[in-house]
Amino acid sequence: MTKKIMGAVVTLGLLGGLAAFIWALTNNKVVIGYNKGYMPDQPIPFSHKLHAGNYKIDCKYCHTSVEVSRHASIPSLNICMNCHLVVKPDSPWIQKIAEAYNSGHSVAWQKVHLLPDHVKFNHAPHIKAGKDCTVCHGPVQEMEKIYQHESMAMGWCVNCHRQPENNAPTNCSTCHF
Amino acid sequence: MDSTEMTNKPENTNAAPESKYWMSLDQWRQDPEFAKLAEREFLSSPLQSDDGKDGWARREFLKLMGASIALTSFGCVRRPAQKIIPYAKKPAEVVHGIPNFYASSYQDGMEGLGILVTTRDGRPIKIEGNPDHPANLGTMSARAHASILKLYDPDRFTSAKRNLQNETRSNRETINVKWEDLDKAVVEQLQKGRAAMLLGTEMSPSTTSLMDEFAQSFNIQLYQYDDLPYDSMAEAQKLAYGERALPVLHFDKARLVVAINTDFMGTWYEPVRFQRDFMSVRKKRDQDINRLVVFESLLTLTGSNADQRYRIRPSQSLAIVMGLLNEIVVTRKASRYAHDDSVLRVISAFAKGSADLGLNLGELAEELIHNKGRSLVVTGGPLSDTEEAVALQVATSFLNAVLENDGHTIDPASSRIPGQRGQGIGELLAAIKAGQIKTLIVHRCNPVYTMPAGSPLREALAGLEMIIYTGDRNDETARYADYIATDHHALENWSDMRTPTGVLSIQQPTIQPLYRTRAFQDSLISWMKTADRGPARVKGAENWYEYLRQNWRDQLAPKVADRSFDDLWNEILEKGVVAGSATPAASRTFSVAALATVKPTARKTGFELTLYPTVALRDGSLANVSWLQELPDPVTKATWDNYVMVSPRDAAQLKLKEGQHVTLTVDGRTLTVPAHIQPGLADGAIGVALGYGRVGAGQVADGVGQNAYTLARWADGRRVFAGLETSVKVESKVTPLAITQGHHTMEGRQIVVEETLADFLAKPGGGIHRHPSGPKYEMWGGEKGHKYVGNKWGMVVDLNTCTGCSACVIACQSENNIPTVGKRYVIEGREMHWLRIDRYYTGTPEDPDTVHQPMLCQHCENAPCEVVCPVAATVHSDEGTNDMIYNRCVGTRYCSNNCPYKVRRFNWFDFTQYESPRHLALNPEVTVRNRGVMEKCTFCIHRIRYHKSQAKLEDRPLKADEFTTACAQACPTNAIIFGDLNNQESAVAQEFNKPYSYSVLSELNTKPVLHYQVSIRNAEHLKGAPKHREEGHHS
Repeated sequence: MTKKIMGAVVTLGLLGGLAAFIWALTNNKVVIGYNKGYMPDQPIPFSHKLHAGNYKIDCKYCHTSVEVSRHASIPSLNICMNCHLVVKPDSPWIQKIAEAYNSGHSVAWQKVHLLPDHVKFNHAPHIKAGKDCTVCHGPVQEMEKIYQHESMAMGWCVNCHRQPENNAPTNCSTCHF
Repeated sequence: MDSTEMTNKPENTNAAPESKYWMSLDQWRQDPEFAKLAEREFLSSPLQSDDGKDGWARREFLKLMGASIALTSFGCVRRPAQKIIPYAKKPAEVVHGIPNFYASSYQDGMEGLGILVTTRDGRPIKIEGNPDHPANLGTMSARAHASILKLYDPDRFTSAKRNLQNETRSNRETINVKWEDLDKAVVEQLQKGRAAMLLGTEMSPSTTSLMDEFAQSFNIQLYQYDDLPYDSMAEAQKLAYGERALPVLHFDKARLVVAINTDFMGTWYEPVRFQRDFMSVRKKRDQDINRLVVFESLLTLTGSNADQRYRIRPSQSLAIVMGLLNEIVVTRKASRYAHDDSVLRVISAFAKGSADLGLNLGELAEELIHNKGRSLVVTGGPLSDTEEAVALQVATSFLNAVLENDGHTIDPASSRIPGQRGQGIGELLAAIKAGQIKTLIVHRCNPVYTMPAGSPLREALAGLEMIIYTGDRNDETARYADYIATDHHALENWSDMRTPTGVLSIQQPTIQPLYRTRAFQDSLISWMKTADRGPARVKGAENWYEYLRQNWRDQLAPKVADRSFDDLWNEILEKGVVAGSATPAASRTFSVAALATVKPTARKTGFELTLYPTVALRDGSLANVSWLQELPDPVTKATWDNYVMVSPRDAAQLKLKEGQHVTLTVDGRTLTVPAHIQPGLADGAIGVALGYGRVGAGQVADGVGQNAYTLARWADGRRVFAGLETSVKVESKVTPLAITQGHHTMEGRQIVVEETLADFLAKPGGGIHRHPSGPKYEMWGGEKGHKYVGNKWGMVVDLNTCTGCSACVIACQSENNIPTVGKRYVIEGREMHWLRIDRYYTGTPEDPDTVHQPMLCQHCENAPCEVVCPVAATVHSDEGTNDMIYNRCVGTRYCSNNCPYKVRRFNWFDFTQYESPRHLALNPEVTVRNRGVMEKCTFCIHRIRYHKSQAKLEDRPLKADEFTTACAQACPTNAIIFGDLNNQESAVAQEFNKPYSYSVLSELNTKPVLHYQVSIRNAEHLKGAPKHREEGHHS
């Protein structure tokens, strides 16, 4: 008898758990397979807080192609060296960059925001539409270490595209081709 | 709604004899096998194995299932970490995500094309036509597109090589060698003297001048050898006009073209320009359009576009030309030569032979006389390289002279292709035999592969002290060489080009050399410097680039007073071509003495073999490019093999089945190849394609087909490719040919509409079988229908100017990362081409007419595929495109099943897994689809997105015809137009609803946004064309 009750409890518990899980999944409470919050260590501890926050350097100073291309692009080392030829050249990290710059063997950064190959996100039109970088990338100016602020799941993208004031296309082929 | 009115039953569902358009012989014969095939529609099923029994297929299926389960269980882990490596020092012109275009040049045999190379992040990914180059005006050949894969060919040599040979050059071991050591050994050998160079046609004036200086400084003899020769033509031009040259032909000025065993649209010396010129006249659609009369033995691309086609044996070519001369000069006296006795004597010798042909040449002669100065008679290429090829060429030149075409359709500036030399390989072999030559440098040709088995080449090579080869792989000639001074790919090298019409263009590198190879020109300079020989300008040049630039400064660049050379050079690099550099004309006259070579020959009986180049492989130099191997032949639709083509009647007499092996014997040399029964062949004529049977060309080419060059006859220093008397022995073995045609049945509906010129002029599009349409027939009609408020993308394909050349197929493949699948899977119907060209025959199998129809996704407004997808992976966009969302697709293949056009492709296996460096050619703008996903033409949606985004960034509306799809861009005749149907200024909007435009299978009411335009045949009758039938019609 107890066995039967135990069995029923376990079954109910499992079903309840499954229902909760499905609810959480469908309501974006848990996101599976997306990298929200992903904050990998970088080979050089570059601080966006220092550069973009304290010194208020414009994002576009380093991410040069964001207004013209699909990719914002990670800055090439010559952009770092624009300032760091004279700024803090004694820092061991700056010396590491200078070494990479001089040798031509660049730095391999860990990719933080990673979209699958079948998603063709294009930065330029979003900037053109006046969206601030922080809309998608979060408060970068406060990030000591960069991390993924949003889920970057399709639902999250489409949510914004559906707002009438954005006048954005919602064809599948807007992003998938 | 009345259901009977809804269904427009397709007519002629039961195929022949009523159905007049047929795709294969089996269909024509109503073969029960074919009926089965047609019923099944798809050859591919996951559980079908080769023999139809349940062999490997199930095992493979279980294996795949296992793999899928293993993959899904990893679905929830974090995505793999990726790295981003930025430039250390970014070049100013590179913006990540934005392509750069470099103007350059591409030489393929005798064809010179201006190209624009698309590069991304420093690597070339696509070759397109340079719109500023007059030779191709932005269009392209299939081969030029495909040549990019040769750059990323894993079988290329990565450094200089040395072969350790024994005396007979049969025992070899290939080792790496340092360039310094190679230079030392080569120079030491060259200084002994008695050296020669064997060179393929070089269209680069700077390279030619460097080679001449090199030859002078080492006292080297130069010999000319082209893998596909034009010797007989050049020789005849020398006899008739005094200069060894290839004439410049203007098909755009001809109203009547007679081609005698010449594939000028497919494989002759400038097919891209010839096609465009010819079709530019046809495009006018008025009573002045041109007419193409073809006499041929095989069914070539040119023959398939003929208005009137006669089947002749190769040995009858000369009799045709002389018969025409007889009708014009003797019978009708319509020439100033009519009273020249020496001429009449030559012509009269052929009177009997020409009469025996049984053809009424009088009518054609009348037509030719009527079109004096506006006609063009052409012969040439391997298809007419018979024993009497020189005589044939002389006779044809004379016929053109009689018709006063010199100076009109034939440019009097007898253009000399740079590098054409009088001495050929025959003289070279004699010189080697006489002991005059001990060292040989071989460049731009592959004689060991392309010389006939009966030639003394191999013995001659074995007797040499040193052979230096500049090839890029361990191929046939490389195996005979001692040193291989591995040359760059053209995309890695500087050079220049002068086309036969005299247009100068520059070739610039688009990528750092991938390996430790060295430009041939740098090798020459290096050898001259090592030996301290050569003129000052070579010694003064640091490298080939410096030499080239200096040569342009001194010789080639136009002199412009107010600009420095540096500015000019930059401008040339930007444009790629020097404006107005075509040479001015100079007149010439036919020398009647040349007719002495024209004598009748004995009539041949038995089979006459023609060794012909194909559109895809031509000479075989690009055989290791999988795109070309899998490109269906425009006429036979066969891939991945060569075969002997036999006419249906001969096949019946030989009791030959499709794919059955046949042993051909020519002069005691044999070759065993499978047979293909080809409609439209002349009885007694058989043909085998060149370019196959490579040895050491690489993993794609090796073992594919047989080398037909071995069967050519070595006659007095010249190779004979046509009219070879052959004995045919039928073997018992049968291997299936990978022919793509039977896979895509259209069940005898009106797919291609043809009209005679008279009918077309009377009522354009009158032959189109229109079907009722309107709201009554709309499933989603009225309010629920699609609204296309912004752009509405559409396409028009003009079947009148489509030649079937297949440039679009390869352009699409290159643009959209379309994989190849290999022979086995082509046989199973799994080829992946998004754009195919359907070929239909009309008339009888013995003597059919041929039509071509590019078939791609029709982007239907009422798309049958969209409604059956259970996961909404294929959906309609508000711009009229039918989108395919790969990541949603679960691979049910319902959409493909429901597509009446059969244009959807399913990736059964990981056909997209490329080994390095092949993956570098992938276009990052287009998703690389993996296994289990349906794919199809997207209308180059990535280009639409890119250009719309660009317009937005520049705050302007999209201009009409601002961009186009890859296929439309490549088409040599501009038969494909793409654009915005909602923009009335665009070309496509103007053509879309012309009375002669129609959509395929309109009775299904799918409403494609792709319209075809009627094909006009400039003939009195269509062969067995269907009458417009009214029964079963509803108004």
